[in-house]
Amino acid sequence: MQGLRERLLGFLFQDGTDQWLAILRVGLGFQVTFYSFSLRSDWNYLLSGAGNGVVSRNLAEALLSVESHFVPRLGWLVTLAAPTGLSEETVLSIAWGCLLVAGCGLLVGLACRFSAILAWFLQICTAKSGGFVSYGVDNFMTIGLFYLMLSPLPDRFSLDWRIRNLRPKHPQLLGFWRRVLQLHLCVIYFFSGLTKCLGSGWWNGSSVWRALIRPPFNVIDPEILVRWNYVFPVAGIFVCLLEITYPFFIWNSQTRKIWLVCICVMHVGIGVTMGMYLFALIMIVLNVAAFGPALSRMERCTASLQPHKAVS
Amino acid sequence: MRQKYVCVAWLFLHFLLIISVSCRETLRLIAQGPTILPSSFKSYSQEAETTVSIALGQHLSASNHVRQTLATYLHISGIEASYGYFAPNVPGSYKLVFELHYRHGRVEYELPSVSSAAAAFRIAGLLDNIGRTRSDALREHLVKMMAQSIWREHADVETVRAIFGSIGLPSVRDFEHGKRESYEFLYAYDFSLQNESPKPNDH
Repeated sequence: MQGLRERLLGFLFQDGTDQWLAILRVGLGFQVTFYSFSLRSDWNYLLSGAGNGVVSRNLAEALLSVESHFVPRLGWLVTLAAPTGLSEETVLSIAWGCLLVAGCGLLVGLACRFSAILAWFLQICTAKSGGFVSYGVDNFMTIGLFYLMLSPLPDRFSLDWRIRNLRPKHPQLLGFWRRVLQLHLCVIYFFSGLTKCLGSGWWNGSSVWRALIRPPFNVIDPEILVRWNYVFPVAGIFVCLLEITYPFFIWNSQTRKIWLVCICVMHVGIGVTMGMYLFALIMIVLNVAAFGPALSRMERCTASLQPHKAVS
Repeated sequence: MRQKYVCVAWLFLHFLLIISVSCRETLRLIAQGPTILPSSFKSYSQEAETTVSIALGQHLSASNHVRQTLATYLHISGIEASYGYFAPNVPGSYKLVFELHYRHGRVEYELPSVSSAAAAFRIAGLLDNIGRTRSDALREHLVKMMAQSIWREHADVETVRAIFGSIGLPSVRDFEHGKRESYEFLYAYDFSLQNESPKPNDH
């Protein structure tokens, strides 16, 4: 029993560098920045609550309140700013600007913790207030930012470390938060693969075809796609097997590289063929941060170094 | 050492929630079908889904503190949804067309539009939400709000008819034989400035 407990703790609190955290921070910085820019022109239209948007933000927030009153939302910011005379449009624009600044802060590693918390808070406000217009990318960004803000920041590649000489308070938890991210990815791919395996369309390739011709993902002309129809069943089965076996093969050092590369190629494929660049980027960032450093020579050489020892 | 045990306890609860939510959604997919599993699995899945939902506090009253706390945590950590994207099969999509009626009988057609491709995915998601909701009232309300957004850009319009339909996607074989996307009418709503409440035409 004692041995089992020690093995579990050894697995969860494995020594390692903060390379993974740097990848996660920079990757999420890129993601938040691109996310903000991609929605810049439609930001107010998608999130307005005063009858100026596509659907009122107030409706999504009212439905959210049925579940919980304590989930962050843009309505809080609008209400807070109301006594100062700021209009809803101005508050939404400020929120957009702050999200962009938080993304840039993460990118360069300036005020890492504050930037991570601000990015998480504003991203969750956006995702929840725009509940009817949210999709998968919002969920994965929330997951990534949630883990990032709880991780021992800053990492040694950040400006906080290099210029402001800030150091993480609990560097011994670096391995733990990496394990959390790794385990979560395993659950994500397992269930994603399992649910796909339940549909006949993924076994005969029709789901791949339908995903590629379904508006608004129909980036490639179906006339071109149909010439490659023999690839669809192979691609469908490949995606199912790749995802459902991810938790079993990503841990083995012999197969990790193959699975990680295949998963990243799959996401690049989704980004290019379906136009889902933001979705592709967040998934690649999470995967590379979780399992990428273990492949690099640098990580292997410095794995025995505890960050706090390196500092002293 | 104490810090480690606290972390392990949090990890256990966190993953218990993630796996519970994922199991519930997977069981829901099986219960709703169609899947490759025999239809007898549907009733078992429905029962199991109910059990998991109870474990997640879904059967407590909406104002219950445990339920509210759980829901808050699930949302703030981004684990309230499952990961069955495009599963078990890829559904068709939906289309909303606005028929704008001006004075003197002029009619124009308008689709919901946004400036960027990233926002277009969100509009498609919104149409999916409208198409899949079981609540007629919510569907009407969402369509009405979209009609209002169109109205703001065309202030001289007298009446707006919102026509909502589903897009049927052809199979590879059908496509090779010349068949293309099909459109199936689902709902229509009429709106006018005098009386903004929607009048569903057909269901």
